[in-house]
Amino acid sequence: MALVEPGPTGVKTEAEAVAAVKQGGPVPSRKLGVMFWFSATWIVALVFLALFRDILPIRDPDELGIRTREVAKFEGPGWNAFFGADGQGRDMFARVVQGARPALILGLTVTIIGGLLGSAVGLTAGYLRGKVDSVSTILIDIALAFPGLVLLISVRATFGNSMFVFITLFSLTSIPGYARIVRGASFALSERDFVDAAEAMGATKRRILLRELAPNIALPVLSFAFIGFALVIVAEGGLAFIGLSLDEITWGKLIADGAGDIDKHAHVALLPATVMFLTILAFNLVGDSMRSLYSPREVVTQRRLRVGPVADTGSGDEVLYIDDLFTALHTPNGDVHAVDGVSLSLKAGEALGVVGESGSGKTMILRSIVGAFALADVTRSGTIEVAGVDMLRAAPADILRTLGTQIGMVSQNPLTALNPVRLIEHQITEPMLVHTSMSKSQARARALELMQQVGISAPERRLREYPHQLSGGMRQRVTIAIALANEPALLLADEPTTALDVTVQDQILRLLSGLQRDRQMAMVLVTHDLAVVKGFTDRVAIVYAGEVIESGPTEQIFTNPRHRYTVALIQSMPDLDLPSHSELTTIEGTPPSLISPPRGCRFAARCPAAQDICNTTPPSADERSEHWFRCHFPAGENAQGHA
Amino acid sequence: MLIFVQRLGRLVFVFFVVTFVTFFLLDQAPGDPAERFAGLNATPEVVEGIRANLGLNGSLLERYTRWLGNAVRFDFGDSIVTRGFSSWDLIRESLPKTLELMVLAEIMAIGMAVPLALASARRPGGFIDKAASSTAFGLLALPAFVLGIYMSFVFGVKLGWFPTIVDNLPGLNDDPLNNLRQMFLPSLTLALNLVAVYLRLLRSDLIETLQEDYVMLAQARGLSERRIMWRHVLRPSSLNFTTAVGLNIAGLIGGAFIIEVLFAINGMGRLVIQSVILEDFNVVAAVVAILTVAYVMMNFLVDVLYSILDPRIRHGAR
Amino acid sequence: MAGTGTAHLRSDVVLSVTELVVEFPARKKQVVHAVSGVSFDLDQGETLGIVGESGCGKTTTGRAIMQLESVTSGSIRLNGVDLVTQQGEQLRQARKKMQMIFQDPVSSLNPSRRVRDIVREGIDIWGSTREGDLDAWVAEVMASVGLGDDGIADRRPHEFSGGQCQRINIARALVMEPDVLILDEPVSALDVSVQAQILNLLEGLKRQFGLTMLFISHDLAVVKNISDRVMVMYLGKVCEIAGTADLYARPTHPYSRALLASIPGNTLGLPPASELISGELPSPLDPPSGCRFRTRCPHASEVCASTEPELVEHAPGHWVACHHPAVTEPRQQFV
Repeated sequence: MALVEPGPTGVKTEAEAVAAVKQGGPVPSRKLGVMFWFSATWIVALVFLALFRDILPIRDPDELGIRTREVAKFEGPGWNAFFGADGQGRDMFARVVQGARPALILGLTVTIIGGLLGSAVGLTAGYLRGKVDSVSTILIDIALAFPGLVLLISVRATFGNSMFVFITLFSLTSIPGYARIVRGASFALSERDFVDAAEAMGATKRRILLRELAPNIALPVLSFAFIGFALVIVAEGGLAFIGLSLDEITWGKLIADGAGDIDKHAHVALLPATVMFLTILAFNLVGDSMRSLYSPREVVTQRRLRVGPVADTGSGDEVLYIDDLFTALHTPNGDVHAVDGVSLSLKAGEALGVVGESGSGKTMILRSIVGAFALADVTRSGTIEVAGVDMLRAAPADILRTLGTQIGMVSQNPLTALNPVRLIEHQITEPMLVHTSMSKSQARARALELMQQVGISAPERRLREYPHQLSGGMRQRVTIAIALANEPALLLADEPTTALDVTVQDQILRLLSGLQRDRQMAMVLVTHDLAVVKGFTDRVAIVYAGEVIESGPTEQIFTNPRHRYTVALIQSMPDLDLPSHSELTTIEGTPPSLISPPRGCRFAARCPAAQDICNTTPPSADERSEHWFRCHFPAGENAQGHA
Repeated sequence: MLIFVQRLGRLVFVFFVVTFVTFFLLDQAPGDPAERFAGLNATPEVVEGIRANLGLNGSLLERYTRWLGNAVRFDFGDSIVTRGFSSWDLIRESLPKTLELMVLAEIMAIGMAVPLALASARRPGGFIDKAASSTAFGLLALPAFVLGIYMSFVFGVKLGWFPTIVDNLPGLNDDPLNNLRQMFLPSLTLALNLVAVYLRLLRSDLIETLQEDYVMLAQARGLSERRIMWRHVLRPSSLNFTTAVGLNIAGLIGGAFIIEVLFAINGMGRLVIQSVILEDFNVVAAVVAILTVAYVMMNFLVDVLYSILDPRIRHGAR
Repeated sequence: MAGTGTAHLRSDVVLSVTELVVEFPARKKQVVHAVSGVSFDLDQGETLGIVGESGCGKTTTGRAIMQLESVTSGSIRLNGVDLVTQQGEQLRQARKKMQMIFQDPVSSLNPSRRVRDIVREGIDIWGSTREGDLDAWVAEVMASVGLGDDGIADRRPHEFSGGQCQRINIARALVMEPDVLILDEPVSALDVSVQAQILNLLEGLKRQFGLTMLFISHDLAVVKNISDRVMVMYLGKVCEIAGTADLYARPTHPYSRALLASIPGNTLGLPPASELISGELPSPLDPPSGCRFRTRCPHASEVCASTEPELVEHAPGHWVACHHPAVTEPRQQFV
């Protein structure tokens, strides 16, 4: 136990610092809150009082009021003495202000010395690794293992209890805390590519440490420094309380002195205690608020799922029926209209491809169906029916049951789709055990069956393994097995092959398609890769900026694309038929904001065929026709008109 | 396996260094216990004899090695101050009280922190979350002794529910009710400080895990929120939490001294303070040894626990 | 393990990699055979595409050339100088002449520095042999990658999109006027339309600056677009090297054929991929003996297990390492 030990607080700060550097640098426009300014003011006021005590009208803290008759014994707080007086008539306010001095001096020097030295050690150890790191780690371990109290007392007994001794002692014991935190951050930072890039550029190690790494840990360290400052005050206070601290007036001593009279004259102990508490709080708040400058993850919106007005209901023979779906994410920056009026339906055995770029809303459609939005404030309106059940408004038990027995979902990244700490067996059998009346052995047998169907070799062995022991392709197969566990009527596949190697992609796509056809499931295949939908879907819906802008049979979409975006999408893909070094068609510009989508056609700003009407009037379409599109000036010629 | 052996070896090394340096530092203290023991009128020979008796003769290295040899057999020499008792006796008497304090505090802390963290993470920004987080933040700023005074003031003096100091503490087996009643306030004081830290740690890890893909997929499979929280989310989020608990336990054995002094518990912390002030050399060295061993063992246990919690660590994949 | 031979190497080239072996220690005294005897060269102004799936060693090859990984054995000659034998200061000097673009455009930029300082980094470290106004040169480079607007230079990376970040990376590399530019999956993390923009940009820069490029990617269509020659790798070995058009029209190594056949919606006239490849990727800790692809190859025979195939010239400039290279009709093509 070190004296000034970050301990568990340090664990959190270390984890945060590592997470922060993994994510990126300064977060723009995150404001320091009101609490920050309050705390900063408090600290400044305290410093001011401590520094200028001599020229301010504050009494002498040792002046005995019982002699000067200015202050009465145990006088209560009031105009004469702000904080009252103690048993000997000494002005408590003066004493508290006096006590601020050693607290601030000790805190400042220890934080600076410990912080600088500790950071230097940590920074170097995290970057250079190897022997430097091993040695530092052992030294840190030793330092932390030291019973700090013993150290303090024995040093004090030997060298006295001057401020100098305390500064040295506290600094020494705070170095390991900083070192550990900075080492973690430095380690994570040096894995990022820009460090490699600097090395490849020929930068010396020294330059990398000072110019590449140090600026990026400055903020987390500074934030922790404030908390460390507070820890010093706490540590000194505790020691003073048991009589082991400096000789001069400190807050801990004041509290200890007043503790005896707490039943009759509480103010003598409680007021210094309050000042101490508020000071520590202030430092913690400042340090904590600074975290918002580099930790973007903390912005967590309240988690709510709301439901808006209903739209038309389906005819009852569709597996999936969506009408007028609007999904809005309520964020501090405004409402993001991720899905803005989408309708589609699927019968058994049908496969629908949903194609769009990132941010187009295609994934959001799937998430809206299953209602899984992690932590977000979402409102869905319209109608979503799966096997006749209203997924937005039915009883929760019915919704859960439908999710578990009628819907299977496969997601994009096989490496994060499985719970890393649970056995494969439990993950596959869980949906069966929860939603059906199967026994454990029945579920297990079925799991083996499923694994064989999805092409996993040695399924018996795999059941007792963990996800990280399987390759990406294998894990995706497991995810598919889980999705099929309860024989769902609807399969939702969100970019199921994007993260896989191309040979594995092919295998998985064929597998999915085969399974879908065999079991006559309805399937929604979401992807950004048009080529993927070619062989595996009956119909395609193209999504752009939250809307479906074209929809029709797959064949037709490729041979006769009408919407300008669809045309551009098909053209901009590097095509194997093109000779090398051909210039690729690009789509200029970027998709529009979903917070305030444009009034007219959403693609107008990027469209080569756009005219005035495109910017003012949104194009409509007859969504009942087989191949429809929203475009005022579509490409190609077609007998099938549109509204 | 090899990893464990390596870790253990490193921790043993730490043990040696710490005890030796402590030995050295204690040695530097001015004053000679042997002289004091002998009294003012003793002759140099008598002092020498006493010094030999107490095992205080020889060079630093000699004394250290001798001590180490004995320490392995739990023979830490006699207390110089409390005549008639060996250091080990004193430790044996005080250690259980400290352990009890620590265990009670941890149980309370974990028992409060885990449900609160789960409730907070389910609805971040909601009422429970805001209330719990603000309270935790405030508690973090309250030093233990201040909180302790306040607690004994409110619950002890004003309300009279619990005694303000521990007096004649019966064994836990002999009279559990009385024992617990006396130990309640000190444990709670300690626990409140711990809760604040654990809550923040666990809450933020839970929130992070809740945003993982596999949780989203679990939701899409129609698993109930409760099931997801307990079976899917809690375990992957508990790594930092485990570290914190482990470190705390290691630190608390020697670090609860302020609470012990405040509530007059005759635990290890109090023993250490007294021994150093009174220059009871043997006892101090003994306590340091115990504390360091405890720290080393806790670190090791945390590592073991890590690999149980996260199979990736078990297989060296992380 | 023997390499796949060096018969295909040319002389008088900018970059020549011979029998490169990179191995990493793993747990329990095992070794990851990331790159096992790879040889290739790069001529002035040429773009060589290195293609393969995960675990093939293409990224490790690129990093080894940049000396970001330690080389177990083999030589890497840049303008005749073997980089593997260079140490300390000499190595630092040699690094001036090679630059690398990494896969993650955002992670490659120091978040706390301004764009201008990032792009100038090379000059700040080394000075420049260029005469005249260095600021003007930097501005010229920024303009040629499409970042010539005012105010861009003063901003920080987090204010830019992935595509723009990659442009910054490219500018940083070009400022140093490198002899060789290695690009490791430079467009994989970008959206399709942004990909197209960056590829067009690279094509233009190649002409403008006379770049010699090593383009590493798993995306076969992208590689086809940008490369003059293509090298296919599998599990640390070279399978096939050929001119781009040639490789895509007449893929000869069974793995190359499987790779191309797996591309969704391709019209290359190959049999379905399920007929060309089976099973899973073996572990690089224990790669198969002889030909490493044999465990998944429909044509594998005994000789494939006992003897490692060497690169043999199948057609002019088209080298294949296989005991049973497929003989197929070339697909109809435009160029």
